[in-house]
Amino acid sequence: MPVKCGLCEKKAILKRPKTGDALCKDCFFWAFEEEVHKTIIDANLFSPGEVVAIGASGGKDSTVLAYTLKTLNERYDYKLDLILLSVDEGITGYRDDSLETVKRNQQQYELPLKIISYKELYGWTMDDIVKQVGLKNNCTFCGVFRRQALDRGAMLLKVDKIVTGHNADDIAETVIMNILRGDIARLKRCTAITTGADGALPRCKPFKYTYEKEIVMYAYFKKLDYFSTECIYSPNAYRGHARTYIKDLEAIRPSSIIDIIHSGECMAVKKEVKLPVQGTCSRCGYISSQEVCKACVLLEGLNKGLPKLGIGKPHKVKKLEAQGKIFTDTKNPKFVENRDADKGSMANNAAALDF
Amino acid sequence: MCSVQDGEDVIPERKKTGKFTEGERRPCMKCGESAAVIIRVNDAFCRGCFLTYCTHKFRSAFGKSKLIRDGEKVLVAFSGGQSSTALLHLIQEGLSERAQKKLRFIPSFVFIDEGAVLNQTQEERSETCQQVAALLQQSGFPWNIISLEKIMQESNSLEKFELSEQFESLHVSEKDQEELKSLWNSVKTLSAKEEMIRTLRSRLLVSIATAGGYSKVLVGDTGTKLSIRLLSDVAQGRGMHLPFETGFADCRHPEMKIVRPVRDFTAKEVAMYNAFHNLQPLVLPALTTKAASNASIERLTETFVTGLQADFPSTVSTIFRTGEKLSVEDMDSEVDRCQFCQAPLDTNVPASSALNATLFSQSLSQKSSTSTIGGASNCDKTDSCCGEGDGSCQTQKDFRLTKEDLADVLCYGCRLVIKDMNSVDDLLPANVLQSAAAAVRRKKMKDEIQDFLLPS
Ligand SMILES: [Zn+2]
Ligand SMILES: [Zn+2]
Ligand SMILES: [Zn+2]
Ligand SMILES: [Zn+2]
Repeated sequence: MPVKCGLCEKKAILKRPKTGDALCKDCFFWAFEEEVHKTIIDANLFSPGEVVAIGASGGKDSTVLAYTLKTLNERYDYKLDLILLSVDEGITGYRDDSLETVKRNQQQYELPLKIISYKELYGWTMDDIVKQVGLKNNCTFCGVFRRQALDRGAMLLKVDKIVTGHNADDIAETVIMNILRGDIARLKRCTAITTGADGALPRCKPFKYTYEKEIVMYAYFKKLDYFSTECIYSPNAYRGHARTYIKDLEAIRPSSIIDIIHSGECMAVKKEVKLPVQGTCSRCGYISSQEVCKACVLLEGLNKGLPKLGIGKPHKVKKLEAQGKIFTDTKNPKFVENRDADKGSMANNAAALDF
Repeated sequence: MCSVQDGEDVIPERKKTGKFTEGERRPCMKCGESAAVIIRVNDAFCRGCFLTYCTHKFRSAFGKSKLIRDGEKVLVAFSGGQSSTALLHLIQEGLSERAQKKLRFIPSFVFIDEGAVLNQTQEERSETCQQVAALLQQSGFPWNIISLEKIMQESNSLEKFELSEQFESLHVSEKDQEELKSLWNSVKTLSAKEEMIRTLRSRLLVSIATAGGYSKVLVGDTGTKLSIRLLSDVAQGRGMHLPFETGFADCRHPEMKIVRPVRDFTAKEVAMYNAFHNLQPLVLPALTTKAASNASIERLTETFVTGLQADFPSTVSTIFRTGEKLSVEDMDSEVDRCQFCQAPLDTNVPASSALNATLFSQSLSQKSSTSTIGGASNCDKTDSCCGEGDGSCQTQKDFRLTKEDLADVLCYGCRLVIKDMNSVDDLLPANVLQSAAAAVRRKKMKDEIQDFLLPS
């Protein structure tokens, strides 16, 4: 006997991973979108008239995010200007294909698109970086560079906010990772729905409470086009352990993902524990808790043929600097040069912007 | 999307193959004699220095905290396992005349027989108790054995608690036995069962201790165990309560502190301590003995942490240190408490929160989308109370708590436990149901006058 949808009279075709309810396709779409809408409203994520950049990787999370935001923006009249913003890390075979997906999304959703590349920002592609550093710490470079690249791209576009497709599973995983790494400052921050107050561009995560499985389900039934290949420079094994743990927990008790986020939201750090103060990087002006930001240290390491710089402990950097081996110039020339180059590329690459 | 984020790259160091190969003798880091035990990656000790290190660590835990006064009566929970055995021995040593920095409290020991929930026969339970009794008798301290079923009685009947000199047999009333069994059988998942027994055990310890005139309960949790608990608590929504669940002293009960004096020891150190002293801990079955590694959240977490620890030797200590940096905010006596685990409620959350997102998802599943968020449906329920509303009337026996009512006065973690129960009606211990019912009535009163209360 077919199961009936719990909300209407139609035949149910799926069981919601989050609640276990049997629903028909339309009721699932409705519930999924309503939940994201509620997240946006409850957290006051947007104000009318804002320009919002969607960090678009071509993967499922950001593809579904772009689609959902566009839908909700029209349905509930948020009055937002949405822009797709993609980072080209320069990974042959992986990023080329995923950027093709983003370009198709751009046409399907009729949203403007800006692509910003590691090559133009840092002078290095990920392929070049991997040749230098090997496959051990490459994700560190990529993670640090991507974050800044998104911000720099967003600043060029003069947007008010960046939204990313981080979902509930990602956040739960980050809570666990920060406990395992003993990183109390990030543990405190990582469950915030919006980050980057004072100075930095605000970043928010409208999928904070959305299960990864439901995102896949939504994309599957909406027949959304996304790129699902894992990065060829696969993420570090340590994170993989945390990811497996979360998946195993979810199998035992599906609410575990949200339960972990609740835990993260309710944790309070002792008053006497010193948290790093956020300042700005003396070389590039980007927010940083160190004098020189991580991206600048990593980049200096690449440029001076010291690829391990910035991977180890901070005091090593200080020591080398004192010996006059690194940071001999006052500003990072590559960066400055590229910032100017960016202005040019904005004008020249009008096609890439495609408003 | 690749979820690697800025600066999340500091990965714990892998196990190093040190300069000393397996089997090779290292020198003791204190005296240079050949070492018998390696406690951390690079710390090797000979037997004598290791034992000195242990006693020193144990004494200083008390010294630093100044929590226990000279001559204070403390109740020690004894389970017979590795860490309890070490704890008993460390206390004995610490109280002995020859000890430097002598401990000056007066301990009594209690063993809680949990055979009922382990499916043991009466004979098996008696046998366990005999073994424990022999160990405790040898120690020379006053002791008693109590079965978990006692938790089903109303608190006042525990006032008769006395310390016995010898073990005769378990006194368990058939009624209590039946009641605990129905409660236990209504819990559907092993994860919830583990939480249930943990809360019942701790409630029982606190009420025994209170009835006996104690103000501290000592438990034998090691750092290894607490790290696992920390992570499994996070996975079960108890993030706010971590300082209670894993700290040196659990201060959630205003009158009774639960103290963890061996929490600076790893499981390995405790086992070495016992081995060097020729102590023989009992090997007693536990709820998840022989269970698969994914049988419950706690079991899974244990497998996860021990697995990581083998590859990354700093795992346990890092988790432990993370916990050290957390605190519980607003801990005044006015705070509303969970009616089951008695920790402050963590359910008074802003609109944008995991809890409200979950309640919203649940409300979407209900046929009429108008149902109230919060889950408490107070329609067509005939209040059997006389209307005084303060519990002063005698009709409370008929007050039926629904699961939703009860959830309202429980913390997030305890809500997860009752969610995994078939029914709560008449199943939870009488004193839990009574205080929960009173809290529900108070909450309803507060809701009625809500509009007239000024913000504090
Ligand atoms: Zn339907
Ligand atoms: Zn910088
Ligand atoms: Zn020695
Ligand atoms: Zn509770």
